[in-house]
Amino acid sequence: MGLLDKLSGWLGLRKKEVNILCLGLDNSGKTTIINQLKPANTQAQEIVPTIGFNIEKFKSSSLSFTVFDMSGQSRYRNLWEHYYKESQAIIFVIDSGDKLRMVVAKEELDTLLSHQDIRSRRMPVLFFANKTDLQDAMSSVKVSQLLCLENIKDKPWHICASNAIKGEGLQEGVDWLQGRLSFIYGGLFAYTYTLI
Amino acid sequence: MSEARSDGGKWLDAHYDPVASLYTFSACMDLADLHGDAESKLVVGDLGTGTSGMKLKVYRGTALVSESALLDLPTALAAFLMDLHEPRIPAIAVASGPFIYIYKNLRPYFKFTLPGLQVNGLEQDVWQQVREGHIDPLTLKEMLEGLREKAEVPLSVRSLHFLSLEPQQMDEFVSLHKQQPIRRQTVITCMGTLRKSTADEDGVSCLVIGTENNDVYVLDPEAFTILSKMSLPAAPTMMDVTGQFDVEFRITVACRNGNIYILRRDSVKPKYCIELASHPVGLVRQGKNVVVGCADESLQGFTQKGKKLWRASLPAPVTTMAAMELPTRGFQAVLVGLANCEVHLYRDKNLLSAIKTPDVVSGVCFGRYGREDGTLIMSMRGGGLMVKILKRTATFDERDNAPGPPLAQSVRLNVPKKTKLYVDQTLRERENGVAMHRAFQMDLSRLRLASSLTPVSSSLSEPLKMNAVVQGLGPSFKLTLNVQNTAACRPVMNLVISFLYDEHLYRMRNPYLRIPLLVPGLVYPVQTFVECTSDRGISDIIKVFVLHEGRSAPLLTAHINMPVSEGLALN
Repeated sequence: MGLLDKLSGWLGLRKKEVNILCLGLDNSGKTTIINQLKPANTQAQEIVPTIGFNIEKFKSSSLSFTVFDMSGQSRYRNLWEHYYKESQAIIFVIDSGDKLRMVVAKEELDTLLSHQDIRSRRMPVLFFANKTDLQDAMSSVKVSQLLCLENIKDKPWHICASNAIKGEGLQEGVDWLQGRLSFIYGGLFAYTYTLI
Repeated sequence: MSEARSDGGKWLDAHYDPVASLYTFSACMDLADLHGDAESKLVVGDLGTGTSGMKLKVYRGTALVSESALLDLPTALAAFLMDLHEPRIPAIAVASGPFIYIYKNLRPYFKFTLPGLQVNGLEQDVWQQVREGHIDPLTLKEMLEGLREKAEVPLSVRSLHFLSLEPQQMDEFVSLHKQQPIRRQTVITCMGTLRKSTADEDGVSCLVIGTENNDVYVLDPEAFTILSKMSLPAAPTMMDVTGQFDVEFRITVACRNGNIYILRRDSVKPKYCIELASHPVGLVRQGKNVVVGCADESLQGFTQKGKKLWRASLPAPVTTMAAMELPTRGFQAVLVGLANCEVHLYRDKNLLSAIKTPDVVSGVCFGRYGREDGTLIMSMRGGGLMVKILKRTATFDERDNAPGPPLAQSVRLNVPKKTKLYVDQTLRERENGVAMHRAFQMDLSRLRLASSLTPVSSSLSEPLKMNAVVQGLGPSFKLTLNVQNTAACRPVMNLVISFLYDEHLYRMRNPYLRIPLLVPGLVYPVQTFVECTSDRGISDIIKVFVLHEGRSAPLLTAHINMPVSEGLALN
């Protein structure tokens, strides 16, 4: 890294790159959320179930995100752990209308958080309680209760109610994530956010 | 969470509603994607109280989404694809009484009625006369009772109902019913589905129904005409269907006479028969085998040709059974609901997992529910509904917590082939068995005699035991004789010990010893000193005699082999 690169990094001119893992059960809306966060001209019109994983890139005001949008189907869930090491943050998406599979989401989350590549790291975890537009959707508080999020003591986490189809609630989550990541990895001038 | 722990943490407790007021059996439960949205729903024929409140219920996730009243008690329910129209939405068939009600999009679509049976001609004549006013109800009753006794064709339901009435109700009944013709109908007892021509998951299926009249019908999926009719020796109670109607199929039917019959394509009569010692209460196919739960608290496995493979004992009576298949993991097992509030999972005769439930399970169903492939749905006797999801990481080990013989017992030993020598030896042993045994016994007693180092007296009044110890290197030796009275309680007295030896070789200080009174059980050491007088390095025997004072015959003799003296005499 040259001196100029370093300088621009300190000044926040060159955006810091972060790898983010987007996880959650199938049909929870991971691809739709990532699609909404992409620049308007690159958004896909139709979302189909992800096979394996997709890599997407988008930028926020200070960070450049590389998102691994993993497939949530049970047969692909064993792929998740191979990407834990090189990611700096996790987005975990929950279908707040699927009361039945909340236990499955909790089980996957517990497995994720107790994995050796995650356990000892203070990586931020952002939860999206998605599909809040559904009639029988649960509130984000109820979702965090069912997932026992209050037990996560060693990692910064945040839960947002979202509606990925309309894009509601997504920006709030990304802002939180950016603040957290800037705090950990960002340059001198980067963290201008009050942190929760 | 405590329940999850008891079965090794293989299941996640997704939902439990103890007051779902759902009363049903495994035969009236099915899972199907009713709306074509890739999300499976649970379709249940609810028996209500048994007389009222029969309903067709549809659950999505944890919620009841649809409910429609049924006219009669449902006996079986099946979801099946009846046509090739897009979207591929399955229809629901509900069997009750002599009818099958077909629902499409949860709306009544068609009603199939079983063909009527032959009516007794005499019975018809009698009712004809009633209609014309020739006979009154009491005579009718007498005539019908006569008919019931000897007729080959049983009476119709109407006549049987009439016979059960009180005399004052008869007039009203006759005037109400006499104008209608007599019909005799049978009822459906069980139902299954059979793919028409392809083995695909989304192939069109035929309905297969078993009736109280010992018949099995296969119905056309679209026109609901009878494609095939087969007869059984007894009324069917449960059935399992596999194969394709146009290719080859196999219908396994458990009947009320306690037998299981296996029907095949192009045979009107059963091909194979399994005679059980106890009545079957559950029937499930696992791969190519048939697993039967019996009323004697056992689970038995049979091949598809009716050969018995295994039998496993259960801790409680079987309440219901269902197949558990996970094609993505290549997993097949049988779920058995037991009366002791447990659901056991068996692969062949091995117990893989036991799930404890808060109530007795009356209906079990496993498959894709919602978007989850491995979902176990249980209905409780008290009207509860419980949903469990198999963990993605769950693995079932063979012999997992199965009681019974250890695994090592079933490992085959690598027994080498029999050699010619072995065979010859075996033949010789077989022919000369008695002589060999005798020779062995004789050798054994000789060996015992030779090896009996402690002399024992055989006299009954003085049972004595003695052993001798020689200590020292020479030329002086210490001789210790341990004398014991082995009698139970009688002491022995007036005993002496004398020695006989070569006086050229040995010198003994006192070759005549008195023994004190011998208390039974105690060991008395008697010591004396022997000196070897020879310096030629030879040894001899010293004989010891235990005698009774005043008698010359010894009670006990012992020969002591003296060791060679290693030292030299001083003088």
